[in-house]
Amino acid sequence: MSAAENNRVIVTDLVKNYGSNEVLKGLNLTVKNNEVVCMIGPSGSGKSTFLRCLNKLEDPTKGKIVIDGYDISDSKTNMNKVREGIGMVFQHFNLFPNLTVLENVMLAPVELKKADKAVAEKEARALLVDVGLAEKADAYPASLSGGQEQRVAIARALAMHPDIMLFDEPTSALDPEMVGDVLDVMKKLAKQGMTMIVVTHEMGFAKEVADRVVFMADGHIMEEGNPQQIFDHPENPRTQEFLRKVLNA
Amino acid sequence: MRKKLIWFALLCSTVFGALLATNSASQAAEKTYTIGTDITYAPFDFQGANGQYTGIDIDLIKAIAKAENIKIQLKPVGFNAAVQAVEANQMDGVIAGMTITNERKQQFDFSDPYYYAGEVMAVTKDSKIKSFKDLRGKHVALKVGTQGAAYAKSIQKKYGFTITEFDQSNDMYNDVVTGNSAAAFEDYPVMAYGIQNGIDLKIVTKPAAGGNYAFAVKKGENPELLTKFNKGLKTLKKNGQYDKIIAKYLGKDSVAKATATAKKQDNSLWGLVKQNHSALLSGLLQTLYLTVISIILATILGVIFGLMQVVPAKWANWTSSTLIYIFRGMPLLVLALFIYIGVPNLTGNKISAFIAGIITLTLNEGAYTAAFVSGGIRAVDRGQMEAARSLGLPYGKAMWRVILPQGVKIMIPSFINQFIITLKDTSILSVIGILELTQTGKIIIARNLQGFKVWTIVAIMYIVIITLLTWLSKAVERRINK
Repeated sequence: MSAAENNRVIVTDLVKNYGSNEVLKGLNLTVKNNEVVCMIGPSGSGKSTFLRCLNKLEDPTKGKIVIDGYDISDSKTNMNKVREGIGMVFQHFNLFPNLTVLENVMLAPVELKKADKAVAEKEARALLVDVGLAEKADAYPASLSGGQEQRVAIARALAMHPDIMLFDEPTSALDPEMVGDVLDVMKKLAKQGMTMIVVTHEMGFAKEVADRVVFMADGHIMEEGNPQQIFDHPENPRTQEFLRKVLNA
Repeated sequence: MRKKLIWFALLCSTVFGALLATNSASQAAEKTYTIGTDITYAPFDFQGANGQYTGIDIDLIKAIAKAENIKIQLKPVGFNAAVQAVEANQMDGVIAGMTITNERKQQFDFSDPYYYAGEVMAVTKDSKIKSFKDLRGKHVALKVGTQGAAYAKSIQKKYGFTITEFDQSNDMYNDVVTGNSAAAFEDYPVMAYGIQNGIDLKIVTKPAAGGNYAFAVKKGENPELLTKFNKGLKTLKKNGQYDKIIAKYLGKDSVAKATATAKKQDNSLWGLVKQNHSALLSGLLQTLYLTVISIILATILGVIFGLMQVVPAKWANWTSSTLIYIFRGMPLLVLALFIYIGVPNLTGNKISAFIAGIITLTLNEGAYTAAFVSGGIRAVDRGQMEAARSLGLPYGKAMWRVILPQGVKIMIPSFINQFIITLKDTSILSVIGILELTQTGKIIIARNLQGFKVWTIVAIMYIVIITLLTWLSKAVERRINK
């Protein structure tokens, strides 16, 4: 693999405006294959918006985004195809309440003809075993706890065999005792070599799992580096201030 | 998916268009003349005890058609609807005790007159009103568009009374009987016949401002029909058939006979149900027929318009919003008249009252349905669409598998409500002469004058049907929510 092919995500000069409000002010970021990138920063810094631009849930205003070689800032790119390769996990899970756990996981592979029904079901059940919820296959999302829902959501995203996983504050809406289970699943995934971009407030997770930590504030990337650099020797005063606040809390 | 929806919308409009086209084509192919008649204008046009339409007008036009060997189809829709339908080219002619006037000559060509009648004033039996002079400051009931109404209006200023106008003769009579109005104006034979058949009024003036009844066609249209009518009328007058028809309704014997049958009739609630069960049943069936077809079409149209409101395409949003705005903003009654009378007036294409009624209900109820369909879709959490799209599902698949199943649950109570409203709204179509339950009630009352009892029967029938519809809908709702 050449250096260029080794890059899963290349973001160049990304700008996102909501009306006159500039949320992302020219971001540049490259994510390599098998890399786990954690994005931290205060609320409103643009982390989630950045993540949502990567699978075009938000339309970038300016700049270029290349995912696995597809230029998604080009309107001719088939986004449905690109999205198949990008799994996304949301803060509020967004499981489909009209479908059972198993059906949630199987929906996309079957609808998009990635696998016939029997194969998709076998894979889905295996994924539910991986996230520790095999016995909940026939339950409806409403009967699950938040932590269980989020693990199903991860299984659902994995069912499409994505190359990249995006996590948008996956544990922020959970009760504290549920957070561990979800993080364990994510750690396992990281160990298996999944390319992950995780927007999170879990500093412990970032320290332990991330290959790289990116600190964002006011729509800019202020600082990035490995966890030791960012957590132990932050250089940017904004990073220092932020870490002082969250780590002392 | 979005493309499929557009194709579906196109298909629907094509089907509608085809319905209209075949309708007008079939009427062009066969030389059957549709003739509008009144329904509550005894002894000229009324429903007999057996439910058949009968009267001088009816017998006359049938006899003339036979003599002249022309095919006719009678449409008992009421005077006003008949006159407007001819003006709008929806019907070929009207025979409904219509007096020749200069004003009407602007719009119609009249046949030779077939009857001469003067206008009289009727009051309640115990009324103190003896002449026009006693009307000062009083209220007078009239029937829309009649010669009696024109006469009353011509003397209104002189005698200083106020007026209310009704669509049906019977409503006009009842307004006097109940005391809301002091007097009614009507053609002498009609008034006299009504009184002999049980209307509780008396005639207090001599026939005046008389006029000639004639058959009419739209000005410049169907001249051959007019010629044949005139020829036929001459034949009937010559061979004595004309006199026989007049004697059948206005002769001394006939009046006595009619009075006798009227007295023999069982006017208890149950008796009325028994006498009229076939008419009521066919009215009910027509109501159900209209309701079911309209519900199906309105639901299809409503879902299409509703989806067009939420899809990410500006032209679709705009088109749908505009159509919903128009059809929701228009009173159902106006929409019905616009489609049945207005549009054919402009285009010259005929359209049957039934199809006009279906289109009216479909557009109106469809607009309301669209509003709650788009509302139901919007009520589904935005994250659902995002999650579905993030998996790579295209918009249509995400809508169909994820959003709609959730939205439908939100919409179900509105759907049930809309079904019930549709059923009730069919009654408004009586205005364009569709013989549904309400129109059937009007016609029965015109014959037996049992307003309270007949409307009670009709009301109970509506409530029973609506109850059944509600049960059915709730059962479906329970199944879906399982």
